[in-house]
Amino acid sequence: MKRLDLIFGERELDAILTALEAAEVPGYTVLKHATGKGPQTVVSEDMEFTGLGANAHVIVFCELETIDKVRENIRSILSYYGGVAYVSEATEL
Amino acid sequence: METNLILQNVLTPPVLFFFLGIVAVVVRSDLEIPAPLPKLFSLYLLLAIGFKGGLALEKSGFGGQVFPTLIAAILMSLLIPLVCFVILRLKLDVFNSAAIAAAYGSISAVTFITAESFLESQNIPFDGFMVAALALMESPAIIVGLLLVKLGAPKNRPNIQEMKWRSILHESMLNGSVYLLLGSLVIGFLTAAHNPVGVDKMQPFTGKLFYGAECFFLLDMGIVAAQRLPSLKKAGSFLIIFAVLIPLLNACLGIFVAKALLLGPGNSLLFAILCASASYLAVPAAMRMTVPEAKSSYYISTTLGLTFPFNIVIGIPLYMGLVNKLIPSIG
Repeated sequence: MKRLDLIFGERELDAILTALEAAEVPGYTVLKHATGKGPQTVVSEDMEFTGLGANAHVIVFCELETIDKVRENIRSILSYYGGVAYVSEATEL
Repeated sequence: METNLILQNVLTPPVLFFFLGIVAVVVRSDLEIPAPLPKLFSLYLLLAIGFKGGLALEKSGFGGQVFPTLIAAILMSLLIPLVCFVILRLKLDVFNSAAIAAAYGSISAVTFITAESFLESQNIPFDGFMVAALALMESPAIIVGLLLVKLGAPKNRPNIQEMKWRSILHESMLNGSVYLLLGSLVIGFLTAAHNPVGVDKMQPFTGKLFYGAECFFLLDMGIVAAQRLPSLKKAGSFLIIFAVLIPLLNACLGIFVAKALLLGPGNSLLFAILCASASYLAVPAAMRMTVPEAKSSYYISTTLGLTFPFNIVIGIPLYMGLVNKLIPSIG
């Protein structure tokens, strides 16, 4: 079992979720209003009224084959708008 | 310099609350407004100003100066980004120039609301159809900005996604703030025409609460503007000078157009403010979607950190002074 962590701008959430659905992930968890500091910018919630919003953090648990499909679907979105994706091992309790 | 007008403007509650927000950041107070509230208040202000504009538009009708003013407003929102782009290209790349130019071609609804409050405090009349001009000036500037990117960007733009005009038009014309403003304008117009009881029922919400909500929103704007100031250092002296001088230039253009349109002093000030202000509600979201290469810190810091405070503190009374000199008072 793999764990996929995606962190990107909230405005791209719909596009990312569509890409995850297309890759047939079994499910995902969405944490909105994620703030913090990346290599380029500080992301805060104080600009929410401008429509820029904060970040979203999406967590997916799935098999390796699904990760390969996800990679294809989300690469263009993350490279265009920015964002990060990391895969790690996950063991069910 | 209209020192007296500036002083009268500074001593109004909205501007004083704006300063209160700035001071809160400077003295490191722990004053913090939870994130959803500024969004709620910005939506409320757009709804209320749209609704009130619709009521006034129904009263004034579509005759006289309405259509020429609306057409002139659209033309200005097409022309201003082009002027700004030419100036910005002296120092910046195509992407940042186009994004900032779009922001300055578009409008700031809160600056407009503050100008309306100023006119009310001075007992200077203005017309409701200016709200329609406000709503119509948001989208064209965004489209011009995107066209400038399309024409000026290198053909081998890395990671480029196909610019889909359908989604661009959707984003520029149906983004939340424009949609709510136009929708409220239409609802206000229809309510005034067919349901006078509805007008009375809405009055406590769109009328009596409005001024307080404006003050609260400006308190948050003061906090945000002060927080943006450090990132202005990154923007550099060119952008800092641009953010102060371009509103003056655009306001002068606006006043001359208003004079040509034979608008009264109140409407002329509002027209000048529409030309001088810069968007931080609709444009940032649209630019992030379509021009991610542009640094949001540039167009947010300049519009919100400098141009907005300049306009609401000094700009409005300064432009009023110019209007008073150039446009004779009616009646």
